[in-house]
Amino acid sequence: MSSRAVLAAGVAVLTVATSGCTVANSGRGGYDPNTLRIVLSQEPPTLEPCESSLTSTGIVVRSNITEPLVERDPNSGDLQPLLSTGWRQTSPTEWTFDIRTGVTFSNGAPFTAADAAFAIDRAVNSDLQCNVDGYVFGDEKLKLAAVDDTTLTVETEKPDPILPLRISFVEIVPRSTSTTEKVREPIGTGPYAVENWDFGQKLTLARNPRYWGTAPAFARAEYQWRSEGSVRAAMITNDETDIATSLGPEDGAGDLGVPFQNNETTALRMQATEAPLNDMRVRQAINYAINRTGIVKALFRGLGDPASQLIPSGVVGYNDQLALWPHDADKAKALVAEAKADGVPVDTQIRLIGRTAQFPKIAETIEVIQSELAEIGLTVKIEMMDTASQLQYQLRPFPANTGPYLLMIMHGNQAGDAAFTMDQYMLSDGPQAAYGTKEFDEKIRAAEALTGQARQDAFAKLFAEEPQEIMQMAYLAHMKGILGKSPRVDYTPNSATGDEMRLSEMTAAGSDRTDAQ
Amino acid sequence: MSTQLDLVPVKPTTAIVGAASTRKSSRAVWFRLLANDRVAACAAAILALVLLTALFGPILMGHVATSIDLDNSNQAPFTLAHGWANVLGTDPLGRSMLARLIVASRTTLSVAIPAVVISAVIGSLIGMWAGFYRGWRETLAMRVADVIMSFPSLLLAVVVLYVFSPSAANIVAVLALTRIPVYLRTARAESAELQSRLFVDAARTFGASATSIITRHVLPIVLPTLLTVATLDFCYVMLAESSLSFLGIGIQPPDVSWGLMVAQGRTYLNSAWWLSFFPGLAIVITTVSATILAAWARIATDPGQRWRLTVPQKRLSRFAKTTKALS
Amino acid sequence: MFSFVRRRMYTSALPLIIVLLGVFLLARLTGDPTSLYLPESATEAQREAFAQKNGFDQPMLTQLGDYFTGVLHLDFGTSLRTGESASEMAFRAFPATLQLAFTTMLLAIVGAIVIGCWAAYRPNSLADRFSSLLSMTAASIPDFWFAITGVWLFAVLLGVLPTSGTDGPLAWILPIATLMIRPLGVLTQVVRGAMVSALSAPYVRLARSKGAGDLRVVTHHALRNAAAPALTVAGDLAVGLINGAVVVEAIFGWPGIGKLMIDAILQRDFAVLQAAVLLTAVSIFVLNIAIDACYALLDARVREPARV
Repeated sequence: MSSRAVLAAGVAVLTVATSGCTVANSGRGGYDPNTLRIVLSQEPPTLEPCESSLTSTGIVVRSNITEPLVERDPNSGDLQPLLSTGWRQTSPTEWTFDIRTGVTFSNGAPFTAADAAFAIDRAVNSDLQCNVDGYVFGDEKLKLAAVDDTTLTVETEKPDPILPLRISFVEIVPRSTSTTEKVREPIGTGPYAVENWDFGQKLTLARNPRYWGTAPAFARAEYQWRSEGSVRAAMITNDETDIATSLGPEDGAGDLGVPFQNNETTALRMQATEAPLNDMRVRQAINYAINRTGIVKALFRGLGDPASQLIPSGVVGYNDQLALWPHDADKAKALVAEAKADGVPVDTQIRLIGRTAQFPKIAETIEVIQSELAEIGLTVKIEMMDTASQLQYQLRPFPANTGPYLLMIMHGNQAGDAAFTMDQYMLSDGPQAAYGTKEFDEKIRAAEALTGQARQDAFAKLFAEEPQEIMQMAYLAHMKGILGKSPRVDYTPNSATGDEMRLSEMTAAGSDRTDAQ
Repeated sequence: MSTQLDLVPVKPTTAIVGAASTRKSSRAVWFRLLANDRVAACAAAILALVLLTALFGPILMGHVATSIDLDNSNQAPFTLAHGWANVLGTDPLGRSMLARLIVASRTTLSVAIPAVVISAVIGSLIGMWAGFYRGWRETLAMRVADVIMSFPSLLLAVVVLYVFSPSAANIVAVLALTRIPVYLRTARAESAELQSRLFVDAARTFGASATSIITRHVLPIVLPTLLTVATLDFCYVMLAESSLSFLGIGIQPPDVSWGLMVAQGRTYLNSAWWLSFFPGLAIVITTVSATILAAWARIATDPGQRWRLTVPQKRLSRFAKTTKALS
Repeated sequence: MFSFVRRRMYTSALPLIIVLLGVFLLARLTGDPTSLYLPESATEAQREAFAQKNGFDQPMLTQLGDYFTGVLHLDFGTSLRTGESASEMAFRAFPATLQLAFTTMLLAIVGAIVIGCWAAYRPNSLADRFSSLLSMTAASIPDFWFAITGVWLFAVLLGVLPTSGTDGPLAWILPIATLMIRPLGVLTQVVRGAMVSALSAPYVRLARSKGAGDLRVVTHHALRNAAAPALTVAGDLAVGLINGAVVVEAIFGWPGIGKLMIDAILQRDFAVLQAAVLLTAVSIFVLNIAIDACYALLDARVREPARV
């Protein structure tokens, strides 16, 4: 019996030892100074470029593996030439782009206007159901023509003054890319190319030797993923990674956490088609009851600014004169009482819906809001849901018989123009809007046709008027994110970092730089 | 030469202990059995305290537990500077940890106890029945247990709680369902083993019905093991509930349970360690006490082992026989 | 013995089918994945096209039929999320969890036997009480709390272990420790309790009177009789490791099947969920058969069904 036991034990040990090699990678052996190590909060499901408006994909792909024709500078808001050297509106419904010469894809194929036409057509007009299609272009269909190797014309159905901005979302892929299936590992013109993807474990990008621009500082980039924020922060402090995304203020990164404005704004969207939320006084009471400043100070630890509108500064249309809705619990109570006296059913249970882990402290924020609303006389029930369930309440078509609900949303305007926000959230039939009026819709459409300063002023006026006329939202705060950054890397996060983390902007600390300190 | 093995206490003979005295009331006997084991008595006291807290605490401290005070968020414990209620610190919303712990005890116990009781009763009954009859009934019961067991319980809970919203009742139901196979297998194994014993055979010869054999012969023997399993399970259910909270589908705010407090506090380990530590400590203390009490109960309800508790512990070693080796 | 195993395999086939059916229904009950996978402004036509492409517009029975046909060919469909074959994803993730689980159970069983026997050897001594207290505490600690505290303590504060990942042997320590504490604690108590009963039984006196040394009495006589309840509990704990693995894999970034299943549920990725659950279910069935075989090995009385 005992010899059998020994034999069994020996077999067991042998199995474990040999199989141990398959999962554990051959030892790291310290870090390679030429490799940039990054840890994300989740594995990108795919690197398909036409899905790059999805954060989990775009953060790896955009401007690293593939590039668009034009690129928005997140600090100035201006469009910079990238694969296109210049563009102009040649007719109300047509724009012409000049294509850069001397560019090759990482597989050696030359880049011409035909590839640009193909890529945009694939993203917008095909049956692939790309995310960038819905988010950026809505129902619009584009007509593309490669006039010659260096000229591309894009024709829209209706005049579109911000077409180049929309085009900046389309990543360019070679003509040989499949139009019937999405690709998991793309080819592009960017500074990096996919070297190896250990599914579930690690994604490695290597410097693209055929890149047309300045070679990036790091020869390789390794992406890993951990779902716990405190583990990502620990990896930074433990020097196991150089960049860590989506950290919370309490995760423990300490001085190695760099706060930055990440262009996300949180708000409560009120389902104003259901009683008692269909009464303006109740909606106003909700706005009075929420203590934005207190929440930002105590829960977000100052990492955020109380918000009066759904877009942060830096986005075209931001109204910098718009004051915060005042916090006045007594006024809120009075309004609720007044509505009750008029027969509005204020006792109906209102659901307060939030998405689990949407931002750090969301659970606590929701609890505070619920208690503040309970104090003014409303009956509010908290429902935290996972992403899939919460999206049912966020996107049209809404489920039937939901009753009145308040939905916590977090909107990131990646494009830098309020038109995207208005189309989604403020048109009465917008995909993420609960309520609006025809008159307001007209005003939005009119503003969207303008350009330049007139556009800015028109949008700003709309943001000021919305609380008076519609009041669909109770804005909370413009959020700040925290990026963990090790001392050996130089990088300043900007508002685009959450959606598009440009590896070429990261350099080794203390390296020689031509521009002055 | 005698070894450690020879010092293991064996049952003392009547010659040493003396003849049995007049019968005491059974209540007093149990109490005596408990008092003789100091550790178990301590555990019982702790459990009684937890139970009383769960019953009456929320009535007294309920309003303190829900008063949000954002200016007082994350205050450290062990200081009376912020009021006696905040002696164990405050949570990020400024609510008193002590009050929340007390209110949470009720939720936690009202999830754990029903789940354990339901699964224990159902599982044991089916298991004993299956073990008694053997044959196809046994196979059927074991395969049902296999089906339930092959769903990882956490996943089953996740799916069920997504489909039907995560209320306390649903959590109890799904946790009870996933634990039934444990009792089923244990009860069946012991019951099957007992079928070959002489006294069961004898009862059958007398024409006793299956129910009476199960209740009068099988149950008392299986009960100690089941009690041990039940208390270990109690511990598991409390931990499962906290894992569900970690995944976001346990008890939902503004309700509070110890598991939820531990899950919510995990992002603050660096800055506010008390948020996870105290509810975690509460879980550990409760389950350890329950386990100790279960170990005592196992001995006390087993007629063959009860003698260990009839004598106060420190005199137990006197009854170890020190035999000389027989060689 | 062999016929016993074969018999068990046949009787396991029906439950397996029930598991497959159950996971199919449950997965679809969790809701509609369309809004997760389509762009926000997807039109009705696009939604219908998505449903058609993935077979969601078919009546439930047709979907069920397609599903079972696929299972027979070991084809579980493609992941909605990544476009890969679902079975490929499940088979890739499974060995990682298996290694973790196997090592954990091995260490837990060995540790429990050693500590449990040693404690039962000197019952009620200080060492026994201390190890009992320690094992009870170990069985009561929330696993994710232990994991995160471990990361903070050993990786951040002391810097002796890596925080997470799968690189190198050191990275195994924290995940295995987290998975192991509860099984170790529970098994130690069970082994100790069973050994105490076994050691005070009459046959131990007999063995001693025949001149058996301590070690032989403990291992050869007492341990064999104490093995049955320990085996039941060990089997239950091994199955429960999948649950622990979900937490551990999430925290330490271990590319195992627990995390795959949770992600599949969150993403409503039915194909991957079905493949992963089936794989887990099959391995659990195999485990149960192995445990029952061990019962039969240890106790000859269990082998024959009793005459009723």
